Amino acid sequence: MIIAKGKLYDTKEQDRILSYLEDEINETLAEKSLSPETVINAVDKLCDKVKKGEFDELISSLPIDGAEHYKNIAIKLLSRESIEYKLKTELGKDFFSSYETTPPLGMKSFSVSAHPLGVLLHISAGNVDGLPAFSLAEGLLTGNINILKLPQADNDLSVRIIAELIAIEPLLSDFIYVFDTPSSDIAAMQKMAQLCDGIVLWGGEAACAAVRKLAPIGVKLIEWGHKLSFAYISGYEDKESELQALADHIVTTKGLLCSSCQVIYIDTDNFDNVNAFCNEFFPYLQSAAEKHVPPTIDAKAEISLREYSAKLEALMTGKQPEKFTSSLCALVPKSDSNLELSDMFSSVLVKPLPHEKIIPVLRRSKSFLQTVGLICSSDKRAVLTDTFCRAGLVRILKAGEMSEAFCGEAHDGDYPLRRYVRIVNSR
Amino acid sequence: MQYRSKLFSTRDAYDTEGTQELFIKAMQENCRFQYKGCPEYRRILDGMGFSPDDLTDEEALTKLPFLPTLVFKKHKLCSMPESRMAVRATSSGTSGHSSEIGFTVSDLWAGLKMVLRVSKLRRLVSIVPCHYIVFGYKPHKSNKTAVTKTALGATMFTPALSRTFALIYKNGKYSPDLEGVMRAVVRRSKSRFPVRFMGFPSYTYFLMKLMDEKGIRVTLPKGSKIMLGGGWKQFYAEQVDKTVFYELAQRVLGVTDDNIVEFFGAVEHPVLYCDCKNHRFHVPAYSRVIIRDPETMQPLPLGSEGLVNLLTPMVTASPILSVMTDDIGILRDGSECGCGLTSPTLEILGRIGMRDIKTCAAGAAEILKEAQL
Repeated sequence: MIIAKGKLYDTKEQDRILSYLEDEINETLAEKSLSPETVINAVDKLCDKVKKGEFDELISSLPIDGAEHYKNIAIKLLSRESIEYKLKTELGKDFFSSYETTPPLGMKSFSVSAHPLGVLLHISAGNVDGLPAFSLAEGLLTGNINILKLPQADNDLSVRIIAELIAIEPLLSDFIYVFDTPSSDIAAMQKMAQLCDGIVLWGGEAACAAVRKLAPIGVKLIEWGHKLSFAYISGYEDKESELQALADHIVTTKGLLCSSCQVIYIDTDNFDNVNAFCNEFFPYLQSAAEKHVPPTIDAKAEISLREYSAKLEALMTGKQPEKFTSSLCALVPKSDSNLELSDMFSSVLVKPLPHEKIIPVLRRSKSFLQTVGLICSSDKRAVLTDTFCRAGLVRILKAGEMSEAFCGEAHDGDYPLRRYVRIVNSR
Repeated sequence: MQYRSKLFSTRDAYDTEGTQELFIKAMQENCRFQYKGCPEYRRILDGMGFSPDDLTDEEALTKLPFLPTLVFKKHKLCSMPESRMAVRATSSGTSGHSSEIGFTVSDLWAGLKMVLRVSKLRRLVSIVPCHYIVFGYKPHKSNKTAVTKTALGATMFTPALSRTFALIYKNGKYSPDLEGVMRAVVRRSKSRFPVRFMGFPSYTYFLMKLMDEKGIRVTLPKGSKIMLGGGWKQFYAEQVDKTVFYELAQRVLGVTDDNIVEFFGAVEHPVLYCDCKNHRFHVPAYSRVIIRDPETMQPLPLGSEGLVNLLTPMVTASPILSVMTDDIGILRDGSECGCGLTSPTLEILGRIGMRDIKTCAAGAAEILKEAQL
């Protein structure tokens, strides 16, 4: 499915549409512009429709747990108030109004104005549901023309949202192109890359490497890469509720998000303390996992097969089953301090990391750092927060909030909208 | 292995009822052999309180401890030194996630007899030479997967005039060459000899879709067949309804549905399942299926949905006499099929844990993809 100039086309029309894309884009650049107000209006109307339940059927068909919860978050984030707040936070007030400078020492003044970067190519290699539409909305808010390449495993969600937006506000149609080109169609991908000023990429290492090869020199690469997050424990404020919240976070996000806890670090250099923590924490994790077993035949089969296999394993090897492991969850104590991906799905690593080693250890993973869920006594919080800032973390939150989305938050240490604009000086 | 030999010499490949006693005897014979030869298997049976001597009736088949395919992915289980094995085959998962199963010459001999008998059902063996289009891996010394072997094996049913492969090994990895295959199909459609497709249903489907989109239609020579095997792999999300598949095959290739044959099998259960003319998988005499409750693992009656447990005494080199797959399926009364065969039919409904998982945790996408193969 392709969307161009507000119309839907079959995939096989791709090459024809691409062949006159450059002319169309040039025309739009020459004659039209998009104000944030137009976009905010359209998104706010879309939000109303979501609220009224017009998308309920689609949302409930998604293969995600807690769809209702996500719907409520979406309603909040798509509202006029949230988007206006986002614009103000990221770009400041009156960002798009031009002004004259008053430089010091009698130097000449000039005029400053902010403009869209131009044309953005959004590539999302399968990530969170609805992400392509979200990325596109950010490009529209900054007035850009957007070419969106859909991920191959996309369910209809993004296309439906985008079509709805265009129906609400036809002015958007000159600024939106959606293609379902597979990444293997290098010629088409290159053609799109040549037309754009910036490539917005959501994906893992493989996707980033592929796009870097494809991007013409000089095109601005805006990479929202995959990240790793962890919890850090150095004492407690309210032990029971904090451990409970951490366990719930691990079980509900399944280790699949950038912000999901992969490793629980204990502020110690003594491995005995790591084991002692596992002993204490495992019942919390187990009870959180029991609370969240999906009632499907699939999930039940998976669990009983895992249980049975563990039994066979013990018989075969004569070894006792791993200590902090059940058919639902696992804690894997390890003596090194490396930040790495866990086995996911309620299995998480536990490692020692004395606070004085935080910076040297985490610097080794500097390109992947995102969230730390910090559990500590209140007198340590300020110092540890500072250490994590220096180490390169960009979200320092309480353990249970690790994956929470909040209004006005930066994305991986950046305000995305700032990267989608350029500043023009003129006289 | 006198009972196995008798069982695999059974003339009627679908006489599960008449061979029941023989099947149980062959299972006991195999179980004794594995118990003696494979220390890990012996420890499992001892630990579960089951002795090969107990394997005397139908009920005992359900009590025989089964091994989940996961166990074979983690351990290489053998009942004899590797030097006595003729072939070792692996499932198509990537390293660390694949099973490796050994076969002796006599295992393969039993297998060959079985393949010839089963394939008779759809008249696959013929002396008329064919052009083969294989939607599988072009054999390469680095590829030991059973899929490669069976796909190549399937090109031996008749003399092969040519073999075109859809997955080409280039620069250290396999990549599909659908355009090349499409050209070959158009070229072969003008031949006097039939064309036979063999391989993954997903790629066959992609090819037909591609031809359909480009408006290419051919009518393959009479006697041409589409043989499908190997499952949908990573394309579960693309899995299409069978009738859609058949319609597409008729429209694009001119192959009618009675010439579309589907196979089912696994490295851990190498009995060939071939669909009947009504496209159902009847259980062959060399195999038995037990559907088990996903929670309690207890056997379920016909018509119930559950985990698919497959049994066969075919292989001596590895203890795969009773394996538990990751598949959810239903076993039904075969006489209701209407094709003439009466052995029960097995329908696979899907695989557990095959959801389309999205992630943004660094490194997770690659691992999840591997785990799904």
